Amino acid sequence: MKIPGFLPFAVGALAALAAGWAAFPHAIYKTERQPVDFSHKVHADKAGQKCDDCHSFRADGTFAGIPSLDKCAGCHAAPMGTTAAEKSFIDQYVTPNHEPQWFDYARQPQNVWFSHTTHVKLGGLKCESCHGAMGDSDSLRPYQEDRISGYSRDIWGRPVVRAAFRTEGGMKMDDCVACHRQRGFTHSCLDCHK
Amino acid sequence: MTTTRRNLFKLAGGAAVGAMFTPAPWRLITDAALLSETWPGVPKPKRGEVSFQFGNCGLCPAGCAVRARSIGGQPVSLAGVAGHPLSHGALCAFGVAGHHLPYHPGRLKSGPAAQAAAAVRAALGQLRDTEHCAVLDLRPGRTASWTYRRAMASLHNGIYLTPEAPVVVNLSAARTVLSLGAGLYDNWGTPGNVIAAREQFRLFQAEPVESRTAVMADVWLPIRPASEDALALGIAHLLLAEKAVAGLPAGFIDRVKEFPPAVAAERTGIAEAQIAALAGELREHAPSLVIDEAGSPYATALNVILGAPGHTLVTRREAPVPDAWKNAASAADLAAVRDGSIRVLLIDESAPGDACPWNEIQPKLADHAAVVTFACSEEGYGRHANFVLPTAVYPEIVDDIPPAVDSPAAAFRLSAALMPPPDGMTNPADFIGALVGIDPKNALQDRAEAIRKSGRGSLFVPSTACSTPTKDVKPADFWKLLQAGATWIDDIDPRAAAPKLEIPALPVETRAAAFPLVVAATEAGTPAVGSPLLSKIYQESGLRLAPAGVAMHPSDARASGLEAGSRARFETASGSVAVSVTLDAAIPRGVVEIGGGPGIRNLCGARTSARVVRS
Repeated sequence: MKIPGFLPFAVGALAALAAGWAAFPHAIYKTERQPVDFSHKVHADKAGQKCDDCHSFRADGTFAGIPSLDKCAGCHAAPMGTTAAEKSFIDQYVTPNHEPQWFDYARQPQNVWFSHTTHVKLGGLKCESCHGAMGDSDSLRPYQEDRISGYSRDIWGRPVVRAAFRTEGGMKMDDCVACHRQRGFTHSCLDCHK
Repeated sequence: MTTTRRNLFKLAGGAAVGAMFTPAPWRLITDAALLSETWPGVPKPKRGEVSFQFGNCGLCPAGCAVRARSIGGQPVSLAGVAGHPLSHGALCAFGVAGHHLPYHPGRLKSGPAAQAAAAVRAALGQLRDTEHCAVLDLRPGRTASWTYRRAMASLHNGIYLTPEAPVVVNLSAARTVLSLGAGLYDNWGTPGNVIAAREQFRLFQAEPVESRTAVMADVWLPIRPASEDALALGIAHLLLAEKAVAGLPAGFIDRVKEFPPAVAAERTGIAEAQIAALAGELREHAPSLVIDEAGSPYATALNVILGAPGHTLVTRREAPVPDAWKNAASAADLAAVRDGSIRVLLIDESAPGDACPWNEIQPKLADHAAVVTFACSEEGYGRHANFVLPTAVYPEIVDDIPPAVDSPAAAFRLSAALMPPPDGMTNPADFIGALVGIDPKNALQDRAEAIRKSGRGSLFVPSTACSTPTKDVKPADFWKLLQAGATWIDDIDPRAAAPKLEIPALPVETRAAAFPLVVAATEAGTPAVGSPLLSKIYQESGLRLAPAGVAMHPSDARASGLEAGSRARFETASGSVAVSVTLDAAIPRGVVEIGGGPGIRNLCGARTSARVVRS
């Protein structure tokens, strides 16, 4: 039987399209689970905590980032409740004083200088502007890291392809520049790449 | 159904076209670019808590205030401290990259400390009455310097040597400055202070080469090579013709008479009217100042004529020291030391500073003298010493930094220790103190306490950018604040006498035919070893002359049989060093510009003659 001339071409194209759209977006990221199933919602609703109670600024104005175990142990020195997750957290981390190795969704690469103080205190930006509704989440979603570049998926943005005209949802340089332009701030390379 | 090669190509072509309409290739292009920045071969500072620490740069006597950013205890960036009364927020290229210094490939990692100690003790045991044990301190005025002075006072025939100290300059009082080749914008004084004072004065830069300072000056006077003294004499001639000045040596007056403006113009190559205008500017817009790193007696005399002592040249008190330290040796004049009399020579070049040329030191050494140098690399006196003992470098140790040449008040500040030194380093003060049983462990704290007790001056605290009078600082806080980067600055003594400018013997012009080129050592003041990153910039960019590089006019190079890139030997009356040759038509004929480095400092004074020969 003779194969129609266009068929091999079509098969190749369809296979590539399927692989590129269905398999590639999953294959490009490796996924890690956070060490503790932390609920921002529980801490915000039941304990009445605000973002900067844990993600605080130090006395010198620098941002402390993810709180250390000491901060957690301030309330969780003993189990608060009877859930298995609470017991596991106390046994694995608080009692042996073992710092959880969190995966930082918003970690910028080494060549970027980012000041939370400048953006939050001077610029008046809300945490949600960059980090989304993290404070309402009931559990920590898996951390996804680009297998090649090593960047967090939150830096790249949720869409697999970020065309120049799509600047939403990420924390890449294009996103920083777009936000600065939108607010009428001048910027130079050395503002971020010191 | 048969599979043909044509169909396979069609399949591959279809796949390629299909792939173009998926995110994969576009994303992979971006990821590949990002990978080039993050691949495992790129060194990455470790993750950790971000912290900031104030301190002071120990790379040169300017001691500029720094704010260090560390991640997980690893310093990753250094910046100036705005509002600092001495450094005014500035930090030079070396200072910005100072945290790279511990990783310099030329750094010494180990040394024979035990053997050196044994050799020194053996030599001291055999010291005759006519022989000396000497310490050569390249950065005098430190607390460690006092340890050396105390140690030498305790030793029989101990002598303490330093490079010649320049007269202190009050740049902020000057309205007109004539620089005879001094690199005001390049390794002279405190960079921030020069920039801060610059708006107050007009700068005339007399120099054969259009250096960076010449570019930044109000007027560049492109004088002929080695004609700085002729210019000074020509100006002196004009000034003395209008008003006699008492106290000038007769020999100088006679010499001035030989240099009417016409002769000075002929010797310097600049117009007679320009010399007259410069003399008028210096006279009319006082206080004036002549800066000459070569220490020419003519420049000194010109400063006396201009009335600089007490105005732009001042006397500076030293920071107080504990009473128990007062039994200390004074700095001796190396020239006055008898030839062949130094049996033990201990050289502290761990803190970069000025240098004494080796050819002036060598005749003073006795036969079989024990020479020990404390250094971070072998490039300096290590080439001549019996033992080279490695030392910690900035920013690994806490050490005090004496005030720079342009600081009219005494200062006491500590260099930041941002990271621990590697094992096997020798502390020169510990080594020399141990010879006579002095333990300098708490010397810095003892001196800080003496300063606090004196009640003099004020303490600038960088974290608050405020100065507090010393007497208002709580005793318990003074040392803590110094450790946290504070700077103590003395009051300027209103009763201080104007410095007596001694005009040394007038030099005989002996420019040997064997050394026909005038040396422009524009980089001579650079630290002994800089950041490896800066070394790369030096060696690969051509932006600045590399430490082992010379630049010459093409005709001078041709006369010596040299071409661009030639390996050659740079020779002066003090010795020689291997160099590579760069040709630059912008260098005047008769001048050779040479990169910095400690080996160069040993060979060159500020106004040296040299030759460059093919090696």
